[in-house]
Amino acid sequence: MEVEDLDFRYENGYKVFQNINLRAEKSKFTAIVGPSGVGKSTLLRLLGAFLKPEKGRVLLHGKPVLRPTPLISMVHQSIVTFPWMTAEENVALSVKTKNLPKDEVKRISSKALEMVGLQGFNDLYPKEMSGGMRQRVAVARSLAADPKILLMDEPFAHLDELTAEGLRQDIYNILFNEESPLETVIMVSHNLTEVIELSDTVFILNGNPATIVAKVDIDLPRPRSPRDPEFDRVLDTLYSYLTIKGGKKA
Amino acid sequence: MIAQNALSLGSINGIPFFTITLAVLATSFRVLALIFLSIISGWLLAYGAIKSKIFENVFISLIEIFESVPVITFFPVVLIIFVNRIGGELGVELAADFLVFTAVVWNIWMGEYQAFKTVPKEMVEVANNYNYGFLDTMSLVYVPFSIPRIAANLFPSVSDGFFYITVSEVFSVGFTTYATFGIGTEITSLLAESNYYGILATFIIMGIVIVTIVIALRIFSERAVARYTVDTDTPIMRRGKPRIRQTARFSAVTSLNTLGKLARYNRERRPAPDPEEIFSKKPKNSRWNIVAGMVALAILIYILYESALLVLSVSGSEWSYLFSKTPSLLYGLLLDYIRVITITLISLVLALTLGYYFAYRKRAEKIGIPVIQTLSAYPVPAYFPFVFLAIYPFVDSIFGSYTEEALVLFLGFLATFYYVFYGFWMGVKAMPSEYNEIMQNLDMGFFRKMRYVIIPSTFPYLIAGITSTVNSAWGGLEIGEYWPDIAGHKTLQVHQGLMKTIDVATSTGNIALAAWGSFLFAIIVAVYSILFTRKMMDLAKKKYVAEEGIYST
Ligand SMILES: Nc1ncnc2c1ncn2[C@@H]1O[C@H](COP(=O)(O)OP(=O)(O)O)[C@@H](O)[C@H]1O
Ligand SMILES: [Mg+2]
Repeated sequence: MEVEDLDFRYENGYKVFQNINLRAEKSKFTAIVGPSGVGKSTLLRLLGAFLKPEKGRVLLHGKPVLRPTPLISMVHQSIVTFPWMTAEENVALSVKTKNLPKDEVKRISSKALEMVGLQGFNDLYPKEMSGGMRQRVAVARSLAADPKILLMDEPFAHLDELTAEGLRQDIYNILFNEESPLETVIMVSHNLTEVIELSDTVFILNGNPATIVAKVDIDLPRPRSPRDPEFDRVLDTLYSYLTIKGGKKA
Repeated sequence: MIAQNALSLGSINGIPFFTITLAVLATSFRVLALIFLSIISGWLLAYGAIKSKIFENVFISLIEIFESVPVITFFPVVLIIFVNRIGGELGVELAADFLVFTAVVWNIWMGEYQAFKTVPKEMVEVANNYNYGFLDTMSLVYVPFSIPRIAANLFPSVSDGFFYITVSEVFSVGFTTYATFGIGTEITSLLAESNYYGILATFIIMGIVIVTIVIALRIFSERAVARYTVDTDTPIMRRGKPRIRQTARFSAVTSLNTLGKLARYNRERRPAPDPEEIFSKKPKNSRWNIVAGMVALAILIYILYESALLVLSVSGSEWSYLFSKTPSLLYGLLLDYIRVITITLISLVLALTLGYYFAYRKRAEKIGIPVIQTLSAYPVPAYFPFVFLAIYPFVDSIFGSYTEEALVLFLGFLATFYYVFYGFWMGVKAMPSEYNEIMQNLDMGFFRKMRYVIIPSTFPYLIAGITSTVNSAWGGLEIGEYWPDIAGHKTLQVHQGLMKTIDVATSTGNIALAAWGSFLFAIIVAVYSILFTRKMMDLAKKKYVAEEGIYST
């Protein structure tokens, strides 16, 4: 997936981006980091074609993406489930659009729940689940749509540290196991530790209007530990990119 | 009377502009004054309700019962009582006011009560801390806190008020016609003179006044929300995108931001369980309890006494006549129920389609919503005769012998549609924006979106809307099922129906039958709608709260 010379401005005239270029490679976990309010969520919405760029293009396999599609699936920053549906029905929502027979829908949703570690919780309602479980449901719903690209907007931001750590450890394996047709994951975050723990490539978004100020490849072996000195070195690098450039917004 | 003297004074080309303007203003003034009265009395009653458990229970039960009965069916009886007891023009005027009051008051009272119940306890503690008296506590804490909720209830109340005032200004019982000055009376007399330009002028002047009121209300709501909304009280907007160019310009008046915020206020019909039981433990409140209990008891005794008098005044043979009529009254009620359900379903389908259309088209929405709001405030009974004239031949060519039935249903629809639409619309506006993105993301079609996401998310709002709807559908039937001389000497009437029976009985002076029919109707409708509404509301609150689908810290 690629972004070419993208500019974006909100209806109220506020210019968020100027000349964004980035490329998310196949089978790589890509992260976009930046300070709060810089436009990370906005960038993901542009990648998913929920918003239209003022200038430039978003390309999937070289072709422009013009409207939202199940091929590019979004996991929101606030954890979104439908309270009137059970875990399984929530997941089934994204399978139903394919007009498959009922038991096929059920099979696929159950499997997606299993992938995110929620086997046996099929009949629980979101209200009966913790935040971590709900986020797993949201991820399962995205995965069940069989996307090529998964967009995740600070997927751990609303979880407590312990739950977030558990989900972080699982997520890489969930996303890149052999059965999954997923090509690329693009995650947005302002938490550098989690970014280094998970990503192969990091784009740093900064400035006002924002643009990509750096690209950092991380090839540390997995699983990665924050206690590793190499980890710290990468952290310093990212940190310096985030702080050099001025124009930072609150 | 003023009307006659002024007639010659402000007439141009036979159109009595002066009288018309005066009549429009009189009617508008009546509606606004009665709404104002409802607001003021509601504050006092709501205060009483939070201070005394006994009073609270009586108060809320009464609201729920009266809210579900369209009082217009009682109008003949009410009118007779007012005319007999008070008499003359004042009696007629008060009867009309009473009718409008009962049309607008319940929503407002309920909203104020809910607001008072949900005042954050920190605010109450501050008031107690400084030993505020009644007036200070009210004016500094409770009243400001209730303003946004009152604003949310004003649109429907105004259109309700206009709806009933035009019918209640002129009313015939037996061979006597009672009239009080206002636009309903004015239209009737212009019609009698076949002064069609006069009628056109009336509609234009009325349109100007209504648009002014609607715009004023919108500005008021915007201000109310901006000024009186406590931060923690608007969780929906937490997720809303900031609207930076939000000003008091006209486009802002028609913007929908406020609607989303206001939407929240309509969500809960009854507030969560008592936040503060300590209140009732304070010794001085037992005094409130006793006073309230006495008042409630006094009202009850008075009602029983009046009822007893009424029952005794009816002779034995009359009772057996009424009983013998009962089966056919009940059959008429059944038919009317079928009509109400039909009207509601049609309104529902149309509201969903139109609401969906607007939800994704900003420009259409900007124009469409204010237009619908204005149209809805136009009293249907005032303009329906002209609609009738215009579409009769067309409807006749399609429905044949069911033409009048179809027209009555259409009248009911006009009286009703707005509430379902408004309810649905509020729900759509309150829907988390993430839901929209997910629907787009999954590439869901119209029916899937509706079935899995939009209808469930808007369910609590739809129920609230339908509750009001069912009520106005009855109002529409009351007017339409038997409408003598609707156009020229043509009478609009259905074949059979309880509302028709009541109307006919009224116009032939058979007050006993009209009252008995109204009574049966009231009991059944009240019981039914309280059970039904409660059930649906509980379901909605238990399961279909879209806001709970978003988890964030
Ligand atoms: N709908 C909108 N209209 C105008 N400005 C917006 C809108 N949504 C977000 N913004 C602004 O755009 C900037 C980027 O927002 P966002 O993408 O949510 O940042 P991040 O996710 O990096 O915290 C912020 O300054 C925000 O105030
Ligand atoms: Mg964000």
